[in-house]
Amino acid sequence: MIFADRSTGVIVTGATGNQGAFHIPLMNAYAKEVGGRGVVAGVTPGKGGQAIHGVPVYNSIREALREHDAGASVVFVPAGAAMDSVMEAAYAGVGLIVAITEQIPVHDTMKAIEYARLQGATVIGPNCPGLISPGECKLGIIPSHLATRGNVGVVSRSGTLTYEVIHELTRAGIGQSTVVGIGGDPVIGQTFSDVLERFECDRETKAVVLIGEVGGSLEEEGAASTDLPLVAYIAGVTAPPEKRMGHAGAIIEGGEGDARSKIRRLEGLGIAVAERPGEIPDLIRGFL
Amino acid sequence: MRLSEHEAKEIMRASGIPVPAGVAIRSPGELEPHLGTFGDHLVLKAQVAVGGRGKAGGIVVTEKARAISQAEALFAKEIRGVPVLEILAEERLEIEKEYFLSIAVDRSSRKPLLLFAESGGVEIEAVARERPEAVRRVTVSPLLTDIPPFALRDLLGGMAKDLAPIVNRLYRIFREKDAVLAEINPLVTTKKGFYAADAKIILDDSALPRQGIRKGRALTEREREAEAHGFSYVDLDGEIGVIGNGAGLTMATIDLIALYGGHAANFLDVGGGADRERVKHAVKLVASVPKVQVILVNLLGGITRCDEVAGGILDADVRQKVMVRLAGTNEEEGRSLLASRSYTMFETMDEAVKAAVEAIR
Repeated sequence: MIFADRSTGVIVTGATGNQGAFHIPLMNAYAKEVGGRGVVAGVTPGKGGQAIHGVPVYNSIREALREHDAGASVVFVPAGAAMDSVMEAAYAGVGLIVAITEQIPVHDTMKAIEYARLQGATVIGPNCPGLISPGECKLGIIPSHLATRGNVGVVSRSGTLTYEVIHELTRAGIGQSTVVGIGGDPVIGQTFSDVLERFECDRETKAVVLIGEVGGSLEEEGAASTDLPLVAYIAGVTAPPEKRMGHAGAIIEGGEGDARSKIRRLEGLGIAVAERPGEIPDLIRGFL
Repeated sequence: MRLSEHEAKEIMRASGIPVPAGVAIRSPGELEPHLGTFGDHLVLKAQVAVGGRGKAGGIVVTEKARAISQAEALFAKEIRGVPVLEILAEERLEIEKEYFLSIAVDRSSRKPLLLFAESGGVEIEAVARERPEAVRRVTVSPLLTDIPPFALRDLLGGMAKDLAPIVNRLYRIFREKDAVLAEINPLVTTKKGFYAADAKIILDDSALPRQGIRKGRALTEREREAEAHGFSYVDLDGEIGVIGNGAGLTMATIDLIALYGGHAANFLDVGGGADRERVKHAVKLVASVPKVQVILVNLLGGITRCDEVAGGILDADVRQKVMVRLAGTNEEEGRSLLASRSYTMFETMDEAVKAAVEAIR
């Protein structure tokens, strides 16, 4: 597994909002199931002293860290303030920051990611479902009942498409080491290359499923950077140019980043590219 | 959101970047009162957001005497399928040399990326392909307000003294307007100095609210309705209506339809928390697309309640066949609700898509 394990204490920021309050109990139910620490504190400025499903809420991350040991934060703060929350966590010394929030202005994201990097923190997201290491920990919103523990790493720009793939893997009896949603925005903290580098150092991970989509060239850059056996799937083969397909990052600009040329470049690197999600389990099985 | 050339040039003009004197018109008659301000020749530029506009006949150089009739002809054209609703009429520049200057959000470095080439114009993509070293590249830390002088020297080489003010102004626009792209191609030099002969600005859709810009000009009625419900929606031109949750899964559903030989009519992502009301509105919206013969609903989520979704589909009560793939909580309740009204529910995405494609044949 990569990034975190059952000993990782988690601070949820935006804890008293709809999303935060909804997902804290789900994360903690999973922590209980696997014997992990889960969410130890929540943060919402001005709401300190409250509790959400038994989790104490503080006014700031530094305040929460005075009472609890936590190695990660999960950000549910609304778009206008989400990147401030990322910087607050990095400033306070939190090493892993998972930003779930979507529709964050990209200039804010660039600043916060650069700031966090200088503080030595790792940012996953924004606009991502977070990560799950089955049997160890869940940081974010990936539905845990779809996942089972095993030796396949999954790294994806998508949310629900990731769920589709782990659902198919689990149905086929193939477990996962860690599933990471890196986010659907053009600028994200952890790219495919970064996550694949971590998978390379992980003894549990024997092969990786890479789920990409139209836009940019992070998939090819990632695939070229690793020696791990890979199976890729790219969504958006039929996406029309310059139309935004839901994700801010999923847009084909100036002929670059379209799915077919992305697939050609991946195949040029010798990587198996699935034509449809349902094909992924059979392709990955060959590497296990 | 891509601004028109005219809008981009107005922003540049306001920031102190020289742009050619010009006027935007929506009919040939609007040009008449401005003709006196131009010299012997004018350039008429169709305000269409398509690449290769010049090659497709969207830019016309004309004598002043023929300007009105040429504008009429240009308004009657379609440029790569896009009707000409607006023309920018500009003074003709005596161009000595063309340069390329661009600032973009770079996904790989996660920083603003500045590009400069001493050969600009329409061939810049070929130049970038064939002689990548001819395009100078510099990234700037997003934590810095201004481009540091060393970075300007790196970018501009011997041109640093002449062009630094323009690059700095373009960078300020890039930051202050929340742009994902601010580009001048070509940036030209004339006897009177430098000009932005063309201008392209793309704004970050996620920042439009704080920029006080309302999205949604030139939206179809359906797209406007989708926006009102908070759906991501794109019209396509097939017969299978598509509803999914999440951008990736919805895109993959459309791709799978194509793989099995069908054509999707639309992309509709209902987003998270697909409850009964939202699903009802989504199904009704897609059913209102005239070409749609079958509707494919593909929803997967840990928190999606299948009985809610099924209820929404029943509430919509549309004439088309609805193929449903649902995975989530309360699956059995959802299934029996749908079965009671002879809708078919499928367990996998493959089965549902195949069934939708076959239903059309």
